[in-house]
Amino acid sequence: MRFVLFLSGLLLALGVSAATPEDTVRQAMSSLAPKVKIDVVQDSAVPGFYEAIVGGEFIYVTKDGKYVIDGNAYDVAHRVDLTASSRARARKDALAKIGPEKRIVFAPLAPLTAKHTVTVFTDVDCPFCRRFHQQIAEYNAKGIEVEYLFYPLSIHPGADKKAEAVWCSSDRPNAFTAAMAGKDPGKATCPNPVGELTELAKSLGIGGTPTVLADDGTQIASQIAMSPDRLAAELDRLAAKNVAQN
Amino acid sequence: MKIRYCLPLVLVAVSLAQAADKPEDAAARAVLKEVVPQARVDTVEAAPIPGFRQAIVGSQMVYISNDGQYMLQGTLYDTAARKDLTGARLAVDHKAKVDAVPASKRIVFAPEGKPKYKITVFTDLDCGYCRKLHSQIAQYNKEGIEVDYLFFPRSGINSPSYDKAVSVWCAKDRSGAFTAAKAGKTPTPAKCDNPVADEYKLGQQVGVDGTPTIFAQDGSKIGGYLPPAEMLAKLENLGKATLAGN
Repeated sequence: MRFVLFLSGLLLALGVSAATPEDTVRQAMSSLAPKVKIDVVQDSAVPGFYEAIVGGEFIYVTKDGKYVIDGNAYDVAHRVDLTASSRARARKDALAKIGPEKRIVFAPLAPLTAKHTVTVFTDVDCPFCRRFHQQIAEYNAKGIEVEYLFYPLSIHPGADKKAEAVWCSSDRPNAFTAAMAGKDPGKATCPNPVGELTELAKSLGIGGTPTVLADDGTQIASQIAMSPDRLAAELDRLAAKNVAQN
Repeated sequence: MKIRYCLPLVLVAVSLAQAADKPEDAAARAVLKEVVPQARVDTVEAAPIPGFRQAIVGSQMVYISNDGQYMLQGTLYDTAARKDLTGARLAVDHKAKVDAVPASKRIVFAPEGKPKYKITVFTDLDCGYCRKLHSQIAQYNKEGIEVDYLFFPRSGINSPSYDKAVSVWCAKDRSGAFTAAKAGKTPTPAKCDNPVADEYKLGQQVGVDGTPTIFAQDGSKIGGYLPPAEMLAKLENLGKATLAGN
């Protein structure tokens, strides 16, 4: 027994000296919010800090684990909102893992081609989501491919069942468009990604619908996203900016 | 006679210490001037995190690296002590600002005998929960709580609620007029020198964003309406609570 105790003591000592960033963040959060889910831990651009996503929100933890800042970080000299750009990157990485088989895609029809793709978290019972989808032909005409992910909000009871019924219908895009026009999609059930996508949205800190994300993970302000003209201009601007930075 | 000479020496020491802090403070102020040019910066001082300054801007705290390159905005926690350092520091600042309002500029409802606790309540004559609170004023007093009111007409200076507050202030029987107005009676229009606008501005500086906003004597923001017994319990437990819900 003594030997075992000695060994585990040694391991503990080793653990302290070689604490990984994950260990440090978990240790720091264990006193503040022990149950919180820690998703990503990485070096922050701010020297001396780790950046972590806990429960969908960004926090900054000093590398000695003594302090946590629940908030946003900025690179003042370069005028960069570090939290916003990290959030965009985390969202881009997460979305890259969601294949077309989990999306409902409305692409521009030939001869038009897609200049830009947006991912839209949507809910059949959300009024602005419906208004957005009413303009789907215009978004497509501007060269924007719209890929929907279901995110039924808990404030809309039954919206998850409707999402599932749409998903399980034989003609998914048409069932989606009909449901977005207020038609009852029925009660079909089948294996579906609605639950997984809902969890994904929460872990990415997405608070409402519709949430429109550009290719690079940037969240588009809703007053821009709701206008096909303004959205197209904003996507052009983002694409130009990303080319300039790469 | 000796004492007279000691005093200037102490002052010299203090001013030297302040002088030593100046370059970082100047860098922090330069950052704030660039990022939030219109904001009022109250305090710049060393932050608990080594290598950082902290500044109170409006009623918020920001953290700025000593070289002026990075800024973090949010709530700073000491993980070992499980303490909200931002809240604690802002409470000190808010206490100083609220305490600076003399009794002659408050509308005071005090218990008989020595009060156990004193709360300062930013109030609006036309707000439902403010009225509810005041309808129970005798019970707060019975619990040993002194209630000091400051006016915070939510719709702003020169709004109808503001005019009512001025009329109450200028009434011959101020507390009587206050209680009557809280019961829904329109006060007799009156004008005189009054502190309503100053109190409204003070509210903005200490982060009042709705009414009633209640401050404890230590400067911590209790929040909104609480029934008398719960208010007492809250005051008794101040300083013990951390990160509720986690």
